[in-house]
Amino acid sequence: MYGTHQSGRNIPFDYQSQVISYRPSIHSRRANLTVKFQDLYGFTVEGNVDDVNVLNEVREKVRQQGRVWWALEASKGANWYLETHVSSTLKASLRFSAIANAVTLKRLIRKGIPPVWRPKVWFTLSGAAKKKSTVPESYYSDLIKATEGKVTAATKQIDHDLPRTFPGHPWLDTPQGHASLRRVLVVYSFRDSYVGYCQGLNYVAALLLLVMKTEEDAFWMLAVLLENVLVNDCYTNNLTGCHVEQRVFKDLLAKKCPKISAHLEDLEFDVSLVATEWFLCLFSKSLPSETTLRVWDILFYEGAKVLFHVALAVFKMNEDQLLLTQQVGDVINILQRTTHHLFDPDELLEVAFDKIGSMTTNTISKGRKKLEPEVMAELDERLRRLNSLKEEEN
Amino acid sequence: MATIGHSNINAKLVLLGDMGAGKSSLVLRFVKGQFLEFQESTIGAAFFSQTLAVNDATVKFEIWDTAGQERYHSLAPMYYRGAAAAIIVYDMTNAGSFARAKKWVQELQKQGNPNMVMALAGNKVDLEEKRSVSAEEARSYAEENGLFFMETSAKTATNVNDIFYEIAKRLPRAQPPQNPAGMVLVDRPTEAARASTCCS
Ligand SMILES: Nc1nc2c(ncn2[C@@H]2O[C@H](COP(=O)(O)OP(=O)(O)O)[C@@H](O)[C@H]2O)c(=O)[nH]1
Ligand SMILES: [Mg+2]
Repeated sequence: MYGTHQSGRNIPFDYQSQVISYRPSIHSRRANLTVKFQDLYGFTVEGNVDDVNVLNEVREKVRQQGRVWWALEASKGANWYLETHVSSTLKASLRFSAIANAVTLKRLIRKGIPPVWRPKVWFTLSGAAKKKSTVPESYYSDLIKATEGKVTAATKQIDHDLPRTFPGHPWLDTPQGHASLRRVLVVYSFRDSYVGYCQGLNYVAALLLLVMKTEEDAFWMLAVLLENVLVNDCYTNNLTGCHVEQRVFKDLLAKKCPKISAHLEDLEFDVSLVATEWFLCLFSKSLPSETTLRVWDILFYEGAKVLFHVALAVFKMNEDQLLLTQQVGDVINILQRTTHHLFDPDELLEVAFDKIGSMTTNTISKGRKKLEPEVMAELDERLRRLNSLKEEEN
Repeated sequence: MATIGHSNINAKLVLLGDMGAGKSSLVLRFVKGQFLEFQESTIGAAFFSQTLAVNDATVKFEIWDTAGQERYHSLAPMYYRGAAAAIIVYDMTNAGSFARAKKWVQELQKQGNPNMVMALAGNKVDLEEKRSVSAEEARSYAEENGLFFMETSAKTATNVNDIFYEIAKRLPRAQPPQNPAGMVLVDRPTEAARASTCCS
């Protein structure tokens, strides 16, 4: 129905052409009205004139970063960023340049990968390229053929969610967009039948499609994300991994923002009420698109700890206001208003790294290991309770 | 403005029930007076608040509209913990959704707050010709289990405000710190007394 399934299917959505066409009219400037406009990745954003100005500044910074990346390629050679892994077999001089490159690269990535570079850089640095290279060339197209026409619980849920995934987006919310997203999700559900399809992945895969440009690359990014980058079992039965991350996050909040943590506890506000969605959708439903992708730049290079940094930052940057809240609704409003208006990624990432301070991947892993038994016990207890209900009935 | 016996109540309310039963539509109708065919899907739960005035109190509902496939049910305790009220929604054109609504009732009875006010909503009553759960069956189930029952339609707005209003009336009123000497406290409505003891 959608033509042949060649693997290099291109996504006819070009962010380069999505220039903000909005010019604040005299009226909106005067009244500071809320205006609607399209951002870098085609999402409709509502904001005021200040937001538009911030977005234009961000666009300019993105252009500058682009020039930096081109200059580096010119001086260090194409693919220089791949030569950052220090292996013992490297000669000393090479090893030095690898370390230097790694330091440069980490700094550079924290400043943002320009959108034109994202597909290539993500694909190699995340390990997706390596993953893909271990299977035959035709893996993705074979799976598409093999799964065509199959109906499973996963495919039904996917079909239900397609029109509800970023509705109104100029490419995602078209028959073509739905078909691409569907194939990526369906094929993945067959690749890992243990995950199958989990709601939330629709948003993640949709954004991957917009960045990666080809469906097959988006598929491999999804695979590396679920299989290597994120905590295990984040999206499987009972969302076990997600529960573990939430517990780790609460511990970190108590450590890094003790006042906020204590105040919210007094309000009986469980921070997971808002943070669960952040971790399951990797902020794609909460932050503006370029800000989300800046988080993902770091996610694919440094790992899942960036999610904790960013989640903590959202609380930290609102510390004063949060400490004054008396009601759950106010807490939620503050957090939502903040995330929706974080058009300047650097504003967020500066807090996330400079103010929150360093956390190692090792700290996070230790936290997970420590808290996992508790989480499992609680989940089991709930299931036992539900099962005992069933028996009573019989 | 405050009158004797008038109280401001914050009440956490959770909506539970089958995907597609109409939870989000009921909330949207109650909070914004709208009905939309397609809404962006929710991950976990969406939060809304709405204030309602009943005779003796102003109730501010803090509403958690839960969502998601089976695996998301593991998150449910976070949303119903500490809730003063719950609306369990089923689609009256779908018998399976009624069966699953009963499971939610049981889970709340076992785990929720024993004073929680619970309502059972048979939604989509505008689709009378497709009915597959009779009102009598649902009502008698609700009575046996100490819930109150209404058939609703988010589409036509039938009974939507009413179900929230009924809940507001039944919420336990905060006890005044001291009973001022000689003052006769207003009797609580009888349903409220019943609702607060029904599920123990
Ligand atoms: N006819 C009719 N359709 C409804 C009613 N309430 C919801 N729906 C539709 O049922 C579907 C599921 O509703 P939704 O609110 O998303 O259900 P939820 O999954 O429980 O949140 C949507 O297509 C709604 O338009 C109703 O009262 N009458
Ligand atoms: Mg819903």
